[in-house]
Amino acid sequence: MRAAVVDVRGLRIDLDDRPVLHGVDLKVVEGEVVTLLGANGSGKSTLVRTTVGLVPAVAGEVRLFGTPLRSFRDWWRVGYVPQRTTAAAGVPATVREVVAAGRLARRTLFRPARKADRAAVDHAIELVGLSEHAGRSVASLSGGQQQRVLIARAAASEPDLLVLDEPNAGVDHRSQEAFARALRTFVASGRTVLLVLHDMGPLAPLVDRGVVLDSGRVVHDGPLPTPSMTLTGPPDHHDDHREDYGAGLFG
Amino acid sequence: MSFLDYDFMQRALVAAVLTGLAAPAVGTYLVQRRLALMGDGLGHVALTGVAIGLATGWAPVWTSVAVAVLGALAIDVVRAKGRASADVALAMLFYGGIAGGVLITGLAGSTAATLNTYLFGSITTVSADDLWVVAVLAVVVIALAVGLAPQLFAVCQDEEFARVSGLPVRLYSMLIAVMAAVTVTVAMRTVGLLLVSALMVVPVATSQQLTRSFRTTFALALALGLVPSVAGVMFSYYVDVAPGASIVVASLIGFILAWPVGSLLRRRRAASTANGEDPRVTGAHVPAERHPHQHDPECGHPAVEHDDHTDYLHDGHLHAAHGRHYDEH
Repeated sequence: MRAAVVDVRGLRIDLDDRPVLHGVDLKVVEGEVVTLLGANGSGKSTLVRTTVGLVPAVAGEVRLFGTPLRSFRDWWRVGYVPQRTTAAAGVPATVREVVAAGRLARRTLFRPARKADRAAVDHAIELVGLSEHAGRSVASLSGGQQQRVLIARAAASEPDLLVLDEPNAGVDHRSQEAFARALRTFVASGRTVLLVLHDMGPLAPLVDRGVVLDSGRVVHDGPLPTPSMTLTGPPDHHDDHREDYGAGLFG
Repeated sequence: MSFLDYDFMQRALVAAVLTGLAAPAVGTYLVQRRLALMGDGLGHVALTGVAIGLATGWAPVWTSVAVAVLGALAIDVVRAKGRASADVALAMLFYGGIAGGVLITGLAGSTAATLNTYLFGSITTVSADDLWVVAVLAVVVIALAVGLAPQLFAVCQDEEFARVSGLPVRLYSMLIAVMAAVTVTVAMRTVGLLLVSALMVVPVATSQQLTRSFRTTFALALALGLVPSVAGVMFSYYVDVAPGASIVVASLIGFILAWPVGSLLRRRRAASTANGEDPRVTGAHVPAERHPHQHDPECGHPAVEHDDHTDYLHDGHLHAAHGRHYDEH
């Protein structure tokens, strides 16, 4: 049996004293590609943010590579792509500089980058197809290209697990294709992926298992649901008001 | 007789060099983090520290370092909590700093003229003792800003990503706040507490007009901080104005000169990359706010054809059906 890379048990999360996840279990084993699906507000983003230690749990346990999150130190094994619309901050930075930040988990304080570090950064940039843009400022790139920069940054530490929060949101088709290619390369080497998706797009053939969340509970865990369910998750507010939308004419 | 023959002028120039380098070094990280006004607030808070020094007879350099560091840590804690009221809490801290400073100075019997030398700098008041403190602090700040550049860059670029990389983000965040507080004190005698923030921010703003990488922005900002600092102090030797004012005006002139050059550079770069990928197919996925009805041909909102689907104009926004919700198009 393959080892569990992500192991979440009985997870309860409150945000601003409002319960968001109620006793969620999630297990991702080595080499698996698992996607979390669900409507806005179903808790899927909170779940991945908790697995990487950004949101504290009220109850339950999260283990990464068999180690409880509290004592987990091998952060280079985790490549995280946060949900962002831009990779830029208040000061210009090149693609290479942003991607190199992903290598810090492997570097020592006050030591210059070694040859292996630079090679890994170059390789990560190449993986997402941005080699000829490596010296450009990230702010000058398109939204899709910036998203690819964030993916390259996550890949720069040569992680065993990639965690991606809506990497396809607002990304043009060309970038989605580039991303699907990068992910295929990553998975082919036997590594593990946990991602949140709004719609599957060109990633559908890569995904082994879908976990559907609804209002903070897992309502489906197994092979991919039917395509219509995959795309939309459980019904949300637009359906709730199907009968009375005439009333809110100018809402 | 040259101005370099005066001891006070030598000290003022050394202080100007150190300030001109330290302020933009810390300022680059503050601007990157979008905390450009933090230096301003710390300057206000440090004034209370100066006043405590004047009232007690302790060296104002030390009392202001102590108070500014405490203020910086308070700001960082409030910021990390991220409450909606953080903004107002910080504003009150800043007002309290400046009012407390003026009040304590008044009670101690010092004159407004003394206070002025701290608010806007003064080239004749840098004592030899002050200079030692200033030099040591400035060198430490610059060394940390350069030596920890990869880590500080990562934290300021994307705090959450840095946390998942295993970096001690809280510690680095506090370090930046403390470095800013120390720089405020370093700069107090040259550019003054009220204008120190300008020397942290303006050189960076000028620099990023011309650059596209963090490394060059940082290096150029240091040069653009150094030149106006030295020039400003020399100007104040010939014309009797507070050096803070001449330094800041000089660095603003630099910004104004760089602007047209910067827009020319950007236009040229945009033209050279226009044959890359099509920018029209990009744009963030922005889900519309919840609304209580479904758009359809009868809903009353004008329909707009958009490639292969229909958008509906709703309060000045174009909504497009995306799965079970609507996107802003």
